[in-house]
Amino acid sequence: MGKLRRTWLKLVSPLAWSRPGAERRFLASFSETERGSAVDMLAAAELTERRDLRRKYFIHALDETRHARLFARRAGDFGAESVRARAALNDANTLQAHGIVGGRSLFERYGELEFLAFVHRSEALAVEQFGVYHDLELLDEKTDQMLQNILRDEHFHVGYSRTELERYTRSGKGADVQRALRKVFWRRPWEAWMRFSVQIGHVVTSFWMTVLYLVVVAPFKLGAARERPGFRDVPPDPRSRMTAARGQG
Amino acid sequence: MATWILGMSALFHDAAVALVRDGEVVAAAQEERFTRIKHDAELPVRAAEWALAEAGIDATELDHLVFYEKPLAKFQRILVNSVAEFPRAWRSFPRAMQTWLGRKLWIAGEISRTFRVPPHKLLFSEHHLSHAASAFLPSPFDEAAILTIDGVGEATTTAIWRGNRTAPHVEPVAEVVFPHSLGLFYSAMTAFLGFAVNEGEYKVMGMAAFGRPRFMEQMRALVRLREHGSFELDLDAFCWHWHPSESFTGKLVSILGEPRFPGAPFDPTTPEGQHWADIAASTQAMLEEAVLHVARYARERVDLPNLCLAGGVGLNAVANTRLAVEGPFDQLWVQPAAGDAGGALGAALWCWHDLLEHPRVLNQRYRCDLGRRWTDAESAEILQDLRAPREQLSPQQRLNRAVDDLTTGGVIGWFQGCAEYGPRALGHRSILADPRGAGTRDRVNARIKYREAFRPFAPAVTAEAADRYFDLHTALTGPVQYMVATGTVRPEYREELAAITHIDGSARVQVVHPEHSPLFHSLLEAFGERTGMPVLLNTSFNLKGDPMVDTPIDAVAALYSSDLDAVYVGCHRVTRSERIRGGDLRD
Ligand SMILES: [Fe+2]
Ligand SMILES: [Fe+2]
Ligand SMILES: [Fe+2]
Repeated sequence: MGKLRRTWLKLVSPLAWSRPGAERRFLASFSETERGSAVDMLAAAELTERRDLRRKYFIHALDETRHARLFARRAGDFGAESVRARAALNDANTLQAHGIVGGRSLFERYGELEFLAFVHRSEALAVEQFGVYHDLELLDEKTDQMLQNILRDEHFHVGYSRTELERYTRSGKGADVQRALRKVFWRRPWEAWMRFSVQIGHVVTSFWMTVLYLVVVAPFKLGAARERPGFRDVPPDPRSRMTAARGQG
Repeated sequence: MATWILGMSALFHDAAVALVRDGEVVAAAQEERFTRIKHDAELPVRAAEWALAEAGIDATELDHLVFYEKPLAKFQRILVNSVAEFPRAWRSFPRAMQTWLGRKLWIAGEISRTFRVPPHKLLFSEHHLSHAASAFLPSPFDEAAILTIDGVGEATTTAIWRGNRTAPHVEPVAEVVFPHSLGLFYSAMTAFLGFAVNEGEYKVMGMAAFGRPRFMEQMRALVRLREHGSFELDLDAFCWHWHPSESFTGKLVSILGEPRFPGAPFDPTTPEGQHWADIAASTQAMLEEAVLHVARYARERVDLPNLCLAGGVGLNAVANTRLAVEGPFDQLWVQPAAGDAGGALGAALWCWHDLLEHPRVLNQRYRCDLGRRWTDAESAEILQDLRAPREQLSPQQRLNRAVDDLTTGGVIGWFQGCAEYGPRALGHRSILADPRGAGTRDRVNARIKYREAFRPFAPAVTAEAADRYFDLHTALTGPVQYMVATGTVRPEYREELAAITHIDGSARVQVVHPEHSPLFHSLLEAFGERTGMPVLLNTSFNLKGDPMVDTPIDAVAALYSSDLDAVYVGCHRVTRSERIRGGDLRD
């Protein structure tokens, strides 16, 4: 799997980086990712019962915060940052999330051991990905240099998480560690698949909703008149306040 | 037995909860402070969990959970609008249907399950009603006119209410409905000026001071003021009612010229910079004119001398000030959490006073430090684990050291007591600096907050000395305690107080009373004793793009990730060990 991924990365990365505006887009998205992991690491520092690990998580968070800023700054060199929100009104707002699902951080959802396994794996993948960029000389000198600096931190992240996992193994939790690593290993493709199916779902629903809109909604247009602008008096509600409050409409 | 009500806002802008016990707010917080996702709109799971724990109750003990708006009414508005905008809403319709049919329509069930509150305890306020309640019920007025102005709730975008002595305390009078909206107009102009919507509105307000309202003729064609307080937007120039991701059309461009390129540097000394500043100034002036126009009508409909204000537009401190100066009301009170987070508080208080019909208790000052707090022992444990250099100080030492830091040019994080509810830091999660000289401002902008140089910083001043330095309108006695209005820096102090004086001589003052914020007040006093000037530069304690810090770890992380000189967490003074900084710490 590792080799496969590396080959895949080597094939795809040059194409991806050669697209116009790729530098800015990639660097900005790295910045977002780093920012997300900083949040996850801070949450872990907050919540861990292992007081000896708190400082490591904390320093890790600081590293990622710095990386996020470096990436963002470099992205800025390739063009102005695009404004994320341009819509004054977003009724279809999809709720944002990185590691946080239903208000729960990664750490809360995985627990200490699995969280460490997750950190270890994602850091290793990042090191690999950045390594491919460097080896294939996809980056300009300045970006490459910045990435080399960042990589030094990433190696530390890979290292300390490995040390901690080994410590768990030595303390007789080897089976747990293996299980956590397996879980983390398979979660990635599984989540990618889930995201993919959700996307497919979106495309299908979008299609039918558009059809619905264009075919079914059309006749109603005739009867629909916009309310005249301006103040209108609010008519009294015949229901009692409590009854009204129980209703959603 | 006590009655417990949990108010909740979520799924649109800022998610928040407010927990009310027998009409008294015991805890309130925004979800973003917990999840560290700015403006997090997800169901406020963490905030709710904390609030219940803080009160020492279980979800089963809640008598009511009140959601701040009516989901079905909102859905209805979206449907009706999609029909009215046929066929050009063809792109926004499928998107909206997806999130609504997929989730938001069934939110009652999800809330009930997530927060373990049986359906019969679940109640729904209305969006603007929640705003109105948050403005009037905590205000010092026994009766008042109420004005709520925002982007849009269910369908209402602007509403006039009557605040009564008895239930219904909050009574609807008149409303304007979608798509005519002053909030959306300002947001669309924010996008036009190259800033992110729901984030960059403050930047427009800051930029406006550099310009002259040269485009009023165009603005008045875009926002036409009609009789009876009404306003009508040029719906061909804007597209929030049919476009899923844009706010304005080619018509606006043909009227005002090309929009500003996002992220482009802003230099008011160049003709181009002046052009953007003039558009910002015109936008701001137009908003103010419209707000005044609506307020005059509100006074006509509700003939009371006092006005309460909420809804996102209520965060426009400059407009609030103009309303106080030129408007028809004697006194103003603005809910500090005027945006949607404040809806959680409004919904809960409305339930207590208008559904359960309990009278209000007047003469209780509204306090907005309603969030999380840490004891010194708790923070000591955390700081020890982080091995950040720290000193433990007595209360007096803490003041002295902070003043030492400040007077030697230091910029400090001030993390004390409960976190603020609402977007302004009022001395609990603040970054503070010496306001004298403009150098500090540039340093804080460039190396701590990483924000645009043109944005002003705000001062905090003791109530006793406020008049010496600032000209504050008498109608704003309430709002200036919460930084939702501005004052004018007296000309003789403008040079000295350059760091907090905006280009037009204004400042978004926080007036600090000893009985309301004893610790922050004594810090200001101590600073005043040393320097002769009890004024501090006060800005929210967060780094660019982050929500305000909420925990000691957040605070120390901000210290290490910026050029702050020290952070005061309770009675601990924490500094940076250069060893960690730079990431070369490998133990
Ligand atoms: Fe990183
Ligand atoms: Fe990393
Ligand atoms: Fe609102």
